[in-house]
Amino acid sequence: MTTLVFLEHHEGEFVKNSLGVLGKASSLEGDTHGVVVGSGVKELAARAGAHGASKVFVADDPAVEAPLPQPRVDVLAKLVRDGGYDTVLFGQSVLAADIAAALAARLEAGLNWDLVDLVEQDGKLVGKRPALQDSVYADVGWSSAPRIALFRSGAFDPSETGGEAQIEDVAVELEDFSANATMVEQAHAESEGPSIEDADVIVAGGRGLGGPENFRLAEELAQALGGAVAATRAVVDAGWYPYASQVGQTGKTVSPKLYVALGVSGAIQHKVGMQSSGTIVAINKDANAPIFEFADLGVVGDLHEIVPKLTELVRQRKS
Amino acid sequence: MTKPSDFPPPFSWREAVGPPTDPEDERIEVGVAIVGAGPAGLACAIRLGQLLEASPETAERLGEVPVAVLEKGKQAGSHLLSGAVVNPRSLRTLFKDRKRTDEMPFFGPVPGEAVYFLTRHNAVRIPAPPTMRNHHNFVASLSQLGRWLAEQAEESGATILPETSATKLLVTDGRVRGVRTGDRGRGRGGEELGNFEAGSEITARVTVLCEGTQGHLTGAAVGAFGLEGESPQVWALGVKEVWRVARPLERVIHTMGWPLRAPARYREFGGSFIYPLGADRVTVGMVVGLDYRDAELSVHDLLQELKTHPLVREILAGGERLEWGAKTIPEGGFVALPKRLHAPGVLLCGDGAGLVNVPALKGVHYAIESGRLAAEAAFGAVQRGATPATALGAYDDAVRESFIWKDLQEVRNMRQAFGRGFWMGGALAGVMTATKGHFPPGNARTHPDADQELIATGRASDYPAPDGKLTFDKLSSVFASGNKTRDDQPSHIRIQTRVPAELGRMWERMCPAQVYEVQGGRDGTADVQVTPSNCVQCGAITAKGGRLTPPEGGSGPEYSLT
Repeated sequence: MTTLVFLEHHEGEFVKNSLGVLGKASSLEGDTHGVVVGSGVKELAARAGAHGASKVFVADDPAVEAPLPQPRVDVLAKLVRDGGYDTVLFGQSVLAADIAAALAARLEAGLNWDLVDLVEQDGKLVGKRPALQDSVYADVGWSSAPRIALFRSGAFDPSETGGEAQIEDVAVELEDFSANATMVEQAHAESEGPSIEDADVIVAGGRGLGGPENFRLAEELAQALGGAVAATRAVVDAGWYPYASQVGQTGKTVSPKLYVALGVSGAIQHKVGMQSSGTIVAINKDANAPIFEFADLGVVGDLHEIVPKLTELVRQRKS
Repeated sequence: MTKPSDFPPPFSWREAVGPPTDPEDERIEVGVAIVGAGPAGLACAIRLGQLLEASPETAERLGEVPVAVLEKGKQAGSHLLSGAVVNPRSLRTLFKDRKRTDEMPFFGPVPGEAVYFLTRHNAVRIPAPPTMRNHHNFVASLSQLGRWLAEQAEESGATILPETSATKLLVTDGRVRGVRTGDRGRGRGGEELGNFEAGSEITARVTVLCEGTQGHLTGAAVGAFGLEGESPQVWALGVKEVWRVARPLERVIHTMGWPLRAPARYREFGGSFIYPLGADRVTVGMVVGLDYRDAELSVHDLLQELKTHPLVREILAGGERLEWGAKTIPEGGFVALPKRLHAPGVLLCGDGAGLVNVPALKGVHYAIESGRLAAEAAFGAVQRGATPATALGAYDDAVRESFIWKDLQEVRNMRQAFGRGFWMGGALAGVMTATKGHFPPGNARTHPDADQELIATGRASDYPAPDGKLTFDKLSSVFASGNKTRDDQPSHIRIQTRVPAELGRMWERMCPAQVYEVQGGRDGTADVQVTPSNCVQCGAITAKGGRLTPPEGGSGPEYSLT
């Protein structure tokens, strides 16, 4: 098996999910190579060796600086054709999904998406895809090569293998139509700290906070713990917090090491977005809240009293 | 005292009617446009396919897409929910010489039946009322039957367009020209998001509205063409669950009585059904008329309460809930039917038209029959030389000559009799059955569900606390409906959001999907917070003082077993 992993990067850092996929790929039989596309990314590319790539292709060209999909499809399609790769893997993101879909069309290849695991069974590659609201895993495969797959955010943790990768430059040759789209503007919501998909610690606020102004409690605790703030659908609906921080069935799926839920009832719609978190801590004044059924540590009490003290304690320990 | 109808929703059917606005070359032209891939719409599509197969020259004249079926759910069947014990007669007629009942997705004929009158701890078996006898009928999941019918319709040449809601009836010069489909990719405030896609205008020679209960465009057509019947439509709300069970159930069960209350002042009309879906599954549901008055009445919680009864608990013991869903049922019957079932360019079928027999608990076979008859009228109207306006009138004549009309006429006053309480209603219904509807003569009126004044009786204190095994809260139930509607789309629910506290509380309890939540408020008023993405489009809000409109196509539940 020869596998090519698309290594997405943002502001000079690899996206965590790509590195996780790279690590997973390198744990399977065969060669695992990475590809980095961008401008001024050579130095970054070299770092992929430590996460499992034996070779990294670098398409370093100002023409591909903007994170647009088609030029990346051109680079990947050529690599896959010339290098005879039988498997191409992506960590799911808006950009990666665009590239994977277009690459599948370009190569007339099969694409499985939303996978959370990849295993070898009886000599065949089998993807695990959650179905029926994540209540079961469906086994999915490919009937032709190359096999293309997108992995759900947080599917694998990046591993430090400590190896070194051979770096190979590839020339950027764009199709005519690939230059049709240009980047007009890149804007992002102002936020401090890590995004909730990447954070190791998440402090989530629910309706039990009592009002939008009390999200301050969640933000202070998150800051002290070096984490990000998430929210339940109910409070996003009520306009207390932006949609981008919504965790759950119709929001984001997260799996931090620590998930602190403040005033979150734990409805199943929320649970399916965070149940794979490492340690779940819940603070809620309602002892009957469903969240206590799956929290590792539950505190029944008034979060307005507990959280400021907890934040203070964390700050003291850290200093 | 507060009446929901004193706080009407900010909505008028006029919003859902208008001339086409897209340039002519951007409109999508089809032969016959059918709105709704349920039993009525799919029967209509199947029958049209049969007729066009025998008449290729007509098919050719209808263009590239002779028959299109628009469906707002993810696929046909996604929004279908019923008991269901189905009378196979209309399916036999529709598939004459083509399919036998043993090739249809039924769970076999009704194996046996029992009707019980329940009290809190006991169940007294009573003889089945004549209208409720189900010998020779078949048990089915309507969602599964719908998916199968969709396959048959596609095989017979129909184009099914899923995830497509019909939001506007296109009318020019007093004639329906087709429908406009809903926009996709709008944000909460109506703004266009990155994936915005404007709706399309689908023009057709004949439009057949088969939208089911609370049809958005059916309501618009009734308003625009003055088709209101002699009495207003009324509804019941049904909430049901599908369970995997340890032991097979070998009969269909209906119950009356507990947890509903018999005295007339409560106006609690309804009952439960428990049907076997094969050897290892059972469906259990509760249906209550929406003319109830108690602001704390919650059909969802009454179903949870029902499951704690020894009779039901034993059937479900060792089992597991697989799916949940809710839907309203038009209960007005004969007196609430539209004046005519057609208007220029348009036909009304099935539940949308109100073709439901409440005492018999049946409507699926009327939907199929009306869809078939609509197909024949539509086919007649697209013949060379036919005048569509008069040709469509043949549909009304055909329905009036069919068994649908006779059945509904016989039982026309029964539902209304139960407004006098359970015992009086039962006695009157007996007389009506014995005289085949001749006594009492005349038609008893219905009164809008939203005109019932609200009362408070502390009912909610009886509802069991959810244990997550036998009894469930509403949010877990919404999850079990498969609903994962995009949150950031415009709200499709029209209500007044500052209302008397008891009205706010009534909506909060009424809704089985926790769409409405009362946020405090002062001086006896309440602010109602709406979570439209929980909505399973049951339609109860339209009966009780608000208005459901179609959300973005593909939203709502994804039923597969209901």
